[in-house]
Amino acid sequence: MAEVKTMPEPARQTVRRRRSSHNRIEPLDIALVIILGVLALLIVIPFINVLAISFVTQQEYLKTSILLFPKEFTLENYQAMFEDGRIWTGYRTTTILLLIGVPINLFLTTSMAYGLSRPDYPFKRFFIFFVVVTMMFNGGIIPMYLLMKQLHLINSLWSVVFAYGINAFYLIIMMNYFSNLPIALSESAKLDGAGEWTILLKVILPLSMPIMATMTLFYAVDRWNEWFNAMIFIRKGNLTVLQLALRSIVIDSQISQQLNVSNIQTDKQFTEGMKMAAVIASMLPIMCVFPLLQRHFVKGMLIGAIKA
Amino acid sequence: MDNNALIRRIIRSKETYMLLLPGVIWFVIFAYIPMYGLTLAFKTYKANLGIFGSPWVGFEKFEYVFRDPAFMESVWRTIWINLGRIVFTFPVPIILALLLNELRMRRFKRTVQTIFTFPHFLSWIIVASVLINFLDMQGMVNGIIRMFGGDPVNFLGNTTIFRPLLYITDNWKNAGWTMIIYLAAISGIDTEQYESAQLDGATRLQTMWYITLPGIMNTIVVMLILATGYIMTAGFDQIFNISNAATAKAGEILDIYIYRITFQSAADFSFSTAVSLFRSIVNFALLLLADRICKMLGSEGLFPPIRKAARARAKGAA
Repeated sequence: MAEVKTMPEPARQTVRRRRSSHNRIEPLDIALVIILGVLALLIVIPFINVLAISFVTQQEYLKTSILLFPKEFTLENYQAMFEDGRIWTGYRTTTILLLIGVPINLFLTTSMAYGLSRPDYPFKRFFIFFVVVTMMFNGGIIPMYLLMKQLHLINSLWSVVFAYGINAFYLIIMMNYFSNLPIALSESAKLDGAGEWTILLKVILPLSMPIMATMTLFYAVDRWNEWFNAMIFIRKGNLTVLQLALRSIVIDSQISQQLNVSNIQTDKQFTEGMKMAAVIASMLPIMCVFPLLQRHFVKGMLIGAIKA
Repeated sequence: MDNNALIRRIIRSKETYMLLLPGVIWFVIFAYIPMYGLTLAFKTYKANLGIFGSPWVGFEKFEYVFRDPAFMESVWRTIWINLGRIVFTFPVPIILALLLNELRMRRFKRTVQTIFTFPHFLSWIIVASVLINFLDMQGMVNGIIRMFGGDPVNFLGNTTIFRPLLYITDNWKNAGWTMIIYLAAISGIDTEQYESAQLDGATRLQTMWYITLPGIMNTIVVMLILATGYIMTAGFDQIFNISNAATAKAGEILDIYIYRITFQSAADFSFSTAVSLFRSIVNFALLLLADRICKMLGSEGLFPPIRKAARARAKGAA
């Protein structure tokens, strides 16, 4: 910093000139725009391609090699997708999972996070350790499967609901949020004779709507994208979750295609269009909440990053 | 006397314990009991006796595990694939963050950032569906190749392209999201450093190299240690959905091996648990090793920030 103060006059002038050139476009700026723009296109184009195929007829699909905008617009593929029925089953199961699962996630996470954030009680550090250990070790899928079997939850949606009850990372983020609330709030309520549960419901939660919204989104997206536990615990066809329904429509058929390439264009129905309609159908809710997601996730992550 | 005081404090805090109770019950049943279930590796699982009642057999299962050639193959394959991830996917978000940080056009910057982060919120099943459509023999990439008169490439069914495919799709889905972590770290760098660099006449590339990059070095090291800790695990969701019959062998990492022997063939649960315990132990050992090496090289390592935060919190509480 000393150098700055004793800087000779010519140098100062160059600084001023650099300042004034701050808004001029340099070659670097052009290079950056090109590189980042191309990368962004590489992410966007596959999605546009999927969207276009889902609205297109088989003839046009076979004719055009670069399909980004349908010329003959058709909804037949979506009709075929709903007639197939697997996506409906998936929607139904995942919606039930969301409606039962997310409130349970929120109840477990909020009550425990608030409990952990209380300033002073015996064994507080033990309980935090108790949570952190689960972030580093877990039993893995086999003990979990056997546990579900012993609890008679196999082939029941409850197995998936309970297998993912608390996400320890979310719990810590929430605990940090509660720790930063002014302590006087709960103290004064306590003097009025309110119990901890009442304080949580009546005093803390109304002040915690931003974090509650973030957590709801976190858990809802996780539930929407959930498939591994469902694949292991549920073998009943009418309880297939959405992601696995999509997998059975798109990926399973691709796996067999790799072995005999010839059958693709002999299908009576236009399966490619139907598959892409299914992709769009399972992506749509995420796309709708994405603007919200982006805001909340970035904020949530910044809170987490600063605290950790 | 002291004991009585403790008991009194416990009784006074009983409502706090009631708050913790539902969560603690969940953790005990669905996290700690399965963790205890890992002892199955030293038992012979009998369905009628359950996890707790099955008889102990010592290290017998591990002997079988190490005798299975498919096991050792999958271990090495996992290590190679994930070392490749450290080389080909780990640096990408850092580079993206550095580039995006230099971008001056605000609106363009925000648009690019939004696009980059989007795929992260989709499951690997959706991402695989989108990319399979894009890359398969009838896909758009091959359409372009045909248009220029080239021969179509079977990107998805080729074992030599399989690993690059894993790294590219991994970056496609996650690099933008991890970039946010580094952008957050960059925004935490002291602005005075940039001002004095500007006064000294540093070019933007010089500032990027000498100020921004060193400024996020600690974050990079922490992320690297964490990545090392995942060397035996990373990639199940991705490989499970990207691979197919033609590439199944090239993609059989340890987790896929565990899945295959447990849920697709006659299951020996103890055998699978032995494999999964082996995997967890190696992971944890690697995490500690990476932490130690980083400390020897003069970095803070993974644990001090956590410990510091815990100490600060404890102090704040007292």
